[in-house]
Amino acid sequence: MDRREILDQVRKSREHLRGIFDDEVETVIVDRRYGFINGIYRRAVSRPAIERLSASDQIDRIVLNRVLGIPIFLFLMWLMFKITFTLSEVPMGWVETGQEWLGNICGRFFPEGSAFQSLVVDGIIGGVGSVIIFVPIIFLLFFCMAILEDSGYMARAAFVMDRFMHKIGLHGRSFIPMILGLGCNIPGIMACRTIDQERDRLTTILVNPFMSCGARLPVYALLIGAFFPEKGGTLLYSIYILGIAMAIIMARIFRKYLFPGPTAPFVMELPPYRMPTIKGVIIHMWERGVLYLKKAGTIILAGCVLVWFLGNFPWSPEYSKDYDRLKQEARLDLASGLIMKEAMDESITNLENEQAREKMEKSYLGHLGRIIEPVVKPLGFDWKIGVGLFGGFIAKEIVVGTLGTLYAVGEADEESAPLRERIQRDTWPDGKKIYTPLTAFTLMVFTLLYIPCVAAIGVIYRETNSWKWPLFAAGYTTALAWIVSFIVYQGGRLIGLG
Amino acid sequence: MVRKITIALAGNPNSGKTTIFNNLTGARQHVGNWPGVTVEKKEGSLRFKDYEIKVVDLPGTYSLTAYSLDEVVARNFVVEERPDVVVDIVDASNLERNLYLTTQFMELGVNLVIVLNMSDRAEESGHKIDTKKLSELLGVPVIPTIGYKNRGMDELLQAIVDVAEGKFDGGHVTLSYGEEIEEEIRKIEELIQRDAGLMQRYSSRWMAIKLLEGDEEVTKKVTGEK
Repeated sequence: MDRREILDQVRKSREHLRGIFDDEVETVIVDRRYGFINGIYRRAVSRPAIERLSASDQIDRIVLNRVLGIPIFLFLMWLMFKITFTLSEVPMGWVETGQEWLGNICGRFFPEGSAFQSLVVDGIIGGVGSVIIFVPIIFLLFFCMAILEDSGYMARAAFVMDRFMHKIGLHGRSFIPMILGLGCNIPGIMACRTIDQERDRLTTILVNPFMSCGARLPVYALLIGAFFPEKGGTLLYSIYILGIAMAIIMARIFRKYLFPGPTAPFVMELPPYRMPTIKGVIIHMWERGVLYLKKAGTIILAGCVLVWFLGNFPWSPEYSKDYDRLKQEARLDLASGLIMKEAMDESITNLENEQAREKMEKSYLGHLGRIIEPVVKPLGFDWKIGVGLFGGFIAKEIVVGTLGTLYAVGEADEESAPLRERIQRDTWPDGKKIYTPLTAFTLMVFTLLYIPCVAAIGVIYRETNSWKWPLFAAGYTTALAWIVSFIVYQGGRLIGLG
Repeated sequence: MVRKITIALAGNPNSGKTTIFNNLTGARQHVGNWPGVTVEKKEGSLRFKDYEIKVVDLPGTYSLTAYSLDEVVARNFVVEERPDVVVDIVDASNLERNLYLTTQFMELGVNLVIVLNMSDRAEESGHKIDTKKLSELLGVPVIPTIGYKNRGMDELLQAIVDVAEGKFDGGHVTLSYGEEIEEEIRKIEELIQRDAGLMQRYSSRWMAIKLLEGDEEVTKKVTGEK
């Protein structure tokens, strides 16, 4: 049986029907279906005499109001960060305590000073632990986002922003991928598929990384906890808003110069409001949050072990001083009554710290850091931050993981102080503090804007099917991050901050 | 004896499909990707009486055309994997628009159960839906549920099992496209029915309508292109 016969018949039928209806066949068919539905609807449904405004409509009158819409959206976002930051303090304390305890316990299982002890205590517990600590804050943020989504508010947010997006030359549909990007940029970039027009789609993909994903949260949380404990929620909010602002500015520029052309119109559906169910919200939160835990157990663990290795080897470098002999001398001084016990302890601790620092500087990582430092110094960052940012390319949490490992290795004292306190204490060789509130804020800005993680770059490649766009995204975000951070840091110093 | 049933959950976006899926499967969910594409695929399972029911959550769509990836994924699953029952979740407060997808499933000739979700909301706004009448007119079981209150799930499961066992007979309701179009559908159907290869997998009426609509995917199936 020749199937061409079928297609011939189809062609004939379509032409025949077009002649009869003076319209495309598919249009007529769709009309008939709606006719059928209408018939059923009339027979099965009795409508009220007067249509009342539903509760949903009443809420929408306020929420979608031309004047109030955007302020309400901004307020709800602020509230979300405020709640997240305030409520997560307590559980984060528990995780921190548990981790210190674990570090001390595990340390005892291995011979003191062995490479293995260092790997477990400094590399794994110090590195991965510093990331795990932020699990409560991430779950809480996802919890709040799930409530906004399940209640139907997020669709309103998209609607409210649509008007605004159009003004800046972006498609209303671009807003949903942006909101998804707040969880993780990868689904955000993938969601751009719903945008039909290629130029709108590419623009949205390219600016999506500015939506601050959950992986960047640990970096902010660490720095805010250490330097702005009072203003946590507001500061966090301002970083997210900065990301959104940068996305808008860049989108505008891309649409104007890279992909010029008009924006397609778009009709958006507004589902009725719904009371979110606890079960639904928890499932949503869990689905997203668990990805973070999985990442901590795999890529971040591997990253931290790598950083630990690079930071510890060569294991016994050539030191500038013979530390062992100097320590021995200090002990002999005590024995011969030249100094007191306290003085001896102090000089031995000093020697050990100095040795640890020198070891780190002579490690592979120290060398890498020295290469990076000139680039990041104008932003107020030292080589450790530079190395952390370098590692952040694998996954943004690794910025924190790397600092955790570096500081655990670099300090010789027994008790493991939280990373937060260690960075507060760290100084430049001239004794000035490395981390001022200004540096901390600059670091947050840089982390927000610079290169998307490896996975995001991979997805951009897959979604655009060429290396041109991922490479472009990596390049322009990093350049932009550097410029904005430079302005923030140097500008801040000029007006006397930090 | 435990019988295995596979059901597919379909429905418009925002019809409360996810809530029903969560109610049915609870924590026994598995998230993956549809083969070959990056559309998310959710599966879960549950026990009901003597049945082991596998639930596949289709992407939320308004229709089953070949225009968007989501619709193609949903359609291909139903056409090619042939679930025992398709559960079409309909937002009761938005009945007219939601029924469009329902007509698409009716045309495919699948075993259908309609869930009239959020039936409380429709009533609040003063719309009284006569479920029995609706079921009669469509020729498929219609189960009112309130997803967020977890209401109506047992009735739904019972209906699924009944339909899977062939215990529901609603007569066969066909959406008629009017004399002129029906005439052409018949002509095309006749030719399709002579082709054993095509008849094996698809309903001839559905295929004929899709061809008339100029559906690219179905046209490719006929020409044998991949």
